[in-house]
Amino acid sequence: MNDHDTLFAQLSTLSASVVLLFGIALLWRRSLGAYIKAFRWQSLVLSIAFALIGYFGNDHELYIIAIVLLVLKVFVIPWYLSRLQTRVGAEREAHPYVNVATSLIVAGLLVMLAYAITRPLVAVSRLPTRGGIPLAVGLIFVGLFVIISRRKALTQIVGFLVLENGIALLAALCTYGIPLIVELGVFLDVLMGFLVMQVIVYQIRDTFESIDVEQLNQLRH
Amino acid sequence: MTGYLLEIGQALLALLLAPGLTGFIRWFKARLQGRRGAPPWQPYYDLRKLFGKEVIVSKNASWLFRFAPYVIFATTVAVTMLVPLIAAPLPFDAVGDLLAVVYLLLLGTFFLALAGLDPGTAFGGMGASREMTVAAIAEPTIALAIFGLAVGAGSTNLGRIVAQTLANPGAVINPGHLLGFAALFIVMLAETGRMPVDNPSTHLELTMIHEAMILEYSGRYLALIEWAAALKLLVFFSLLSNLFMPWGVATTLTPVALCVAAVALVAKLAALAVTVAVLETRLAKLRLFRVPELLGVSFVLALLSVTSSFLLR
Amino acid sequence: MLFSLLLIPSLVSAALAAAFRPYRTLVGWVNALLSLVALGAAVSFAGHAVRDGEAPGFGPGEMLRADALSALLMVCVAGAASLTLFLGPGLGGETNYKASQLRRYQLFINLFICSMLLAVAANNVAIMWIAIEATTIFSALLTTLTRTKTSVEASWKYILIGSVGIALAFAGTVLGYFDFVTLSGRAENALNWPVLLANAPSLHPEVMKLAFVFLLVGYGTKAGIAPMHTWKPDAYGEAPAPLVALMSSALFAVAMYAILRWKVVADAAIKDHYADRLLLALGLLSLLIAAFSLVLARNYRRMLAYSSVEHTGLVCLGLGLGPLGVFAALLHLVNHTAAKSLMFFLVGNIERKYGSPLIRQVRGLQTVMPWTGGLFAAGLLALMGLPPFGLFISEFALFRAGFAGHHPWLMGTVLLLLLVAFVSFIGHLNRMLYGTAPEGVTAGENGGWRIAPMMLSLAVLVVLGLTLPAPLETLLNQIVRIVSR
Repeated sequence: MNDHDTLFAQLSTLSASVVLLFGIALLWRRSLGAYIKAFRWQSLVLSIAFALIGYFGNDHELYIIAIVLLVLKVFVIPWYLSRLQTRVGAEREAHPYVNVATSLIVAGLLVMLAYAITRPLVAVSRLPTRGGIPLAVGLIFVGLFVIISRRKALTQIVGFLVLENGIALLAALCTYGIPLIVELGVFLDVLMGFLVMQVIVYQIRDTFESIDVEQLNQLRH
Repeated sequence: MTGYLLEIGQALLALLLAPGLTGFIRWFKARLQGRRGAPPWQPYYDLRKLFGKEVIVSKNASWLFRFAPYVIFATTVAVTMLVPLIAAPLPFDAVGDLLAVVYLLLLGTFFLALAGLDPGTAFGGMGASREMTVAAIAEPTIALAIFGLAVGAGSTNLGRIVAQTLANPGAVINPGHLLGFAALFIVMLAETGRMPVDNPSTHLELTMIHEAMILEYSGRYLALIEWAAALKLLVFFSLLSNLFMPWGVATTLTPVALCVAAVALVAKLAALAVTVAVLETRLAKLRLFRVPELLGVSFVLALLSVTSSFLLR
Repeated sequence: MLFSLLLIPSLVSAALAAAFRPYRTLVGWVNALLSLVALGAAVSFAGHAVRDGEAPGFGPGEMLRADALSALLMVCVAGAASLTLFLGPGLGGETNYKASQLRRYQLFINLFICSMLLAVAANNVAIMWIAIEATTIFSALLTTLTRTKTSVEASWKYILIGSVGIALAFAGTVLGYFDFVTLSGRAENALNWPVLLANAPSLHPEVMKLAFVFLLVGYGTKAGIAPMHTWKPDAYGEAPAPLVALMSSALFAVAMYAILRWKVVADAAIKDHYADRLLLALGLLSLLIAAFSLVLARNYRRMLAYSSVEHTGLVCLGLGLGPLGVFAALLHLVNHTAAKSLMFFLVGNIERKYGSPLIRQVRGLQTVMPWTGGLFAAGLLALMGLPPFGLFISEFALFRAGFAGHHPWLMGTVLLLLLVAFVSFIGHLNRMLYGTAPEGVTAGENGGWRIAPMMLSLAVLVVLGLTLPAPLETLLNQIVRIVSR
C-alpha cells in the first residue's frame, strides 16, 4: 500500500474506533442526558469519517451524505431526544438488566466476535478502509446489546440509533457508501422510524407514568 | 560494562527524581486551587525527616511487617531498571520484559496488602481489600495495554517496543496505540492511587485505599514505602511517555544522547504531571463501587487495542 | 402506465383522507373503489406474466418490474387490501372510533398498502427495503389508534423489534452490495435483482452466507419467523382488527417475498444448500413454538397470531425444500392470505359483539351470530388444513415435496406438530361455537352487507381447494422456474 492509502487506512480505522468507543460509552454511563451526548458525538465523528472517505476515496457523493448525517443525527434527532427527555422526566438507568461492569466486558467480547465473523469480509475486500469493518459490525452488536440489556425506553431508542450508525459506518467502510438515492431514502426512513418511536414513548409515559419497560409486562401468554 | 553502569545510573536518576515528581504534582495542584502550596522539593525534606525518626511497631505485627517495606522498595527499584527511562536497548532487557515488569509491580502490591493486614487493624484490612479489588482488574489491563504494542513490535521486550515505535513514527495514530495509551492512563490513575480512584492526601475512613494500608508505618519504613510509591508513579509516567511517544530516548550510549534523553524524560514527566494535577483538581473521587466500572472501561479499551493491533498487522 | 394504476390509487386515497377534516364516509367509499383499480392493475400484470412470461420494467434504472413472482404477490396484496378497505371501519357502520381516528386510519392504511405494493413491484432490492421499512412505520402508527396500556405495550414492542429487524436486513443488503462491488466495481444498477442474480455465481460464498444470515434474521423478524416472532401475538392481539387482517396476510407475504428474492441470489452464490438448511431449521422451530403455544391460548386473537407463526413455519419449510417445495410454499401463501384476512375480519365482528378477546368469554357463537359463526368455523377449519379448503392442497403439496426431497423424519415431525395444533384448534373452536351465550349479548349479525365480501373470500378458498386454476398453475410454474435457475 502506498503512503496515501496507509494514511487513509489509519485515519478511517481511527475514526471507526472512536465511533465504536462512543457506542460503548452507552454501556458505561447511566443518565439519559449522557446517552444523548454520546450519540451526538458519535454521529459527529461518523459524519467526519464519511467526509474523510469521500476525500480520500474521491467520491463526492459522500460529502452530501456527511452533511445530511450531520444535520439529521447531530442536530435534529438529538434535539427531539432532549425534548423527549425533559418531558418524560430525568430517569436514570439505575438497575439495568445487565450491570455496568459485565456490560463492558460483554461489549469487549462482542467486538472480538465481530472480528471473528468478519474475517471473510476483510479477506475479500481490497479497499484501504477494510480494517474498520469489524469495528462497524462490533458497533452493530453493541447497539443490539444496549437494546436488550437496558430498561428505559429512551435508552432503547438511543441503542437503535447507534445500531443504525453502525450500519451506516459499515456501508461507508465496505463500499464507500451505497448509491445516493438509496442513502437518502434510508435517512428518511430512520427519521420517520425515530419520530414514531418518539410518539410511542410519549404514550408510554402517559399511560404508565414511567418509561421503564419492565412495566410493559401485561401481555403474557 | 557501560550498559550495566547505565542501568544503575538510570535507577539512581529515578530514585532522585521520584519525590520531586510527587512534590511537583502536589505544588501544581495547590497553585490550581489558589493556594501557595509547599515547594516542589518538600518530599525530600519529608523523607529526610522520616529516616531520622523512631520506628514504632505494633505488638501484634509479625516479621512480615518489618520485611514488607524492603520488598516493596526493592521491587520498585528493580522495575526502574527494566523500564526504558532514558535508553532503549539495555542489558537487563534479556531478563526483564513486559511480563516481568507486571509481576514485579504486583509483587509489591501484594506485600503492601499483606502489610496492611498484618497488624490486625480495621483500617489496614479495609485498605487491603479495597486495594485488591482495584489491582485485580488493573493488573491484567496493564499487561493487555502494553501487549497491544508488543503485538505490533513482535516482542514483549520493552526496549524492542520502543525501538519499533521509533522506527515508524506514523504508527502513533494507530487506533491500537491510542487505545492502549488511554487504557494505560486510566490504569495508572488506579495503580498509583490518584484521583478519581483514590485521594492521595486523605485520611478519612470512607475514602482511603493506599493510605489505609500504610497507616501503621512510621520512621524509615514509612520513608521507604513513600519513596516506593513515588517511584511507582515515575515508572508509570515513563511507561506512558516512552512506550507511546518515545522521541528523545537514547538509542546510542553517547553522553550527548543520554543528556538529551534525560532532559526529554524530565519534560515528558512534567507534562504528564501537569495533566494529572489538572485532572485531580477537576474530577471528584468515584464511589468505591463505581471504580470497577471505570476499570472495566479501561479493560475494554485495552482489549480493543490488542484486537485492533493484532488484526491490522 | 400499469404501474401507475397499481400505485397511484392508494396514494390518491391517502391524500383524500388527509384532505377531508372531519372524516366523511364518502372518502371511505372512494378509497375502496380506487383499491379495485389497483387490484385490476395487479390482475393484468398477472395476465401479462401468464401470457408472455414477463412484464416490462418502468422508471429510472428499471426501478419497478413485474415478473411472475411480483405479479402473484401484487394480486395477493391488492386483493387483501381491497377487502380491508371494504370491510374496514372507514365505510361507516357500527364502530367505536372517533372521526379523527377514522381519518388517521384511512390515511395510514392507504400509505401502508402503497408501500406494500411498492415493495413487491420494486426491482431494486434497496427500494424494496425502503418500502418494507415504510410499512413498519405506517403500521406502527396505526397500532396505537386506541391508547390503552396493552395497546401501547404492543405497539412499542412492534416498532422496536420491527425496526431492529429491518435494520439488520439493511446490514444484510449492504453486505450483499459489498460482495457485488468487490467483484465488479460500483455500478448504478448494482442493486437491481436481475443484475445481482446474473452475477451471483461469482460472488464470494462466505460473504453471501453472512449476508443471508443478516437478511433472514432481519426480514424474518418482519415475517414472524421464530425466534423473532415475539411481537406477533402482542401486535395481533391489540391492533385494530382490519389492520391486523392486512398485516397478517399481506405484510407477511411481502416479508416472505423479500426472503425468497434474496434466497435465490444466495443459492446461486453459495453452491451448497446452506440457505435451505437455515430455512428448514427456522421453519421447524416456528412450527414447534406455535403448536405448543396454541395449546395454551386463552385469547382468540393471540391464537390466530400463533396460527400465523405456524403457517410461517410451513412456508419456510416449503422454501427450503427445493422447486416442489417453493411451488407448495407460494400456493400456501396465496391460500393463507385469503384465510387469515377472512379470520381477522370475523374477529372484528366477534369482538364488537362480545366485548372481549378472551376465548372463555365467547360462547354460543353459532346461535348469536349464525353467519359469522359459520364463516369463523369454516375459516378455522381451513387454517387447520382440512379439505375442501385450499390450505389442504398446499400442505399436501408441501408433504409431497418433503418426501420427494428425502426428508421423511422432518415431515413426520411436521405432521405431528400439525396434529397438536389441530387438536388445540378444535378444542378452542368448540368452546367458542357451542354453548349458551353469556349475559348481555344480543343475538344478531352486526356486519350487515359485509358478510358478502367475506363469503367471497371463503369461496376463493374453496375453489383453490377443489382445483388449481390453470392461470395460477402457470404463474406458479413460472415462479419456480425463476427461483430455481
